Amino acid sequence: MTSLNVGTPIPPLERQIDVTDMVAYAGATWDWHRLHYDMEYIRSTGFSAPIVDGQMLGALMAQCVQDWVGPDARLTKLGIRFLTPVEAGTTVRCDGVTVSVESEVLKCDLTVHILDSEGEVVGTAASGHAEVKLS
Amino acid sequence: MTETILTGELRARIGETRVYVAPEPIGKAAFRYFALAIGDNNPLYLDDQFAREHGYDGVIAPPTLVCETNQYANLPKESTGYAGHGWDLEIPGTRLLRGGNEYSFHKAVCPEDILTVTWRIDDMVERTSSKGTPMVIVTSIAEYANQNAELLVTNVETLIYQWRGRPS
Repeated sequence: MTSLNVGTPIPPLERQIDVTDMVAYAGATWDWHRLHYDMEYIRSTGFSAPIVDGQMLGALMAQCVQDWVGPDARLTKLGIRFLTPVEAGTTVRCDGVTVSVESEVLKCDLTVHILDSEGEVVGTAASGHAEVKLS
Repeated sequence: MTETILTGELRARIGETRVYVAPEPIGKAAFRYFALAIGDNNPLYLDDQFAREHGYDGVIAPPTLVCETNQYANLPKESTGYAGHGWDLEIPGTRLLRGGNEYSFHKAVCPEDILTVTWRIDDMVERTSSKGTPMVIVTSIAEYANQNAELLVTNVETLIYQWRGRPS
């Protein structure tokens, strides 16, 4: 982490989430909801592709912040708002910006963007905010 | 005419609670499995020695794991494959979406922690969407504690029951 000023951008973290990742996440969380892998069920709900568990985006936000602040700082709050369902195979990018630093508590806003195959932002999957205790 | 879907019967469930006690400690393997699944190789979750050098007793859980795992619930699979806590709220003509979560991480989760999770329906309100259709917003609060009654995480979850049309 290079700076703690308000307005400091958080280094972006990008990930393509495919069905294999989603199945691994389903296993790791004891959540076998068919929306994440079963095409027959998925079509019956009006979607055309498996839908990423929104909480994978929450985990990405947590990683983005924790990687940036380092192992001696601790994530104490994370708020997530789900905006757009993300289909399997999509690449997402989490980034953010510092909004305050007071009394060893850093607050930041976060966004998970949806990227197209060219790496251009085409939507917002989730927005959020986090707080970190710096020491 | 706008439909009214938040009935008195539903509102009467505000304040309802459910308590789950995990059958076993959450365990170190769960941390590694979750970290592998999300592609997060932070050694705080994987390497005891590294975690000790940064003020912990050993590896800690990736922060969102306890809010996401259904390990503690020990419930059978539903027909959808889901096997976690739910309120079984029947609101005809709607579909359920997750609106968001607000997590407060009070204390790092250790492999030895045996979770007790208390869910409570905090509120239900009806709102009108931008399309002019009704929706019910259900706010639940979950508190995750360990076997020593130490509060680990609080999770405020918003569920949205979105109108799709009166079933024929």
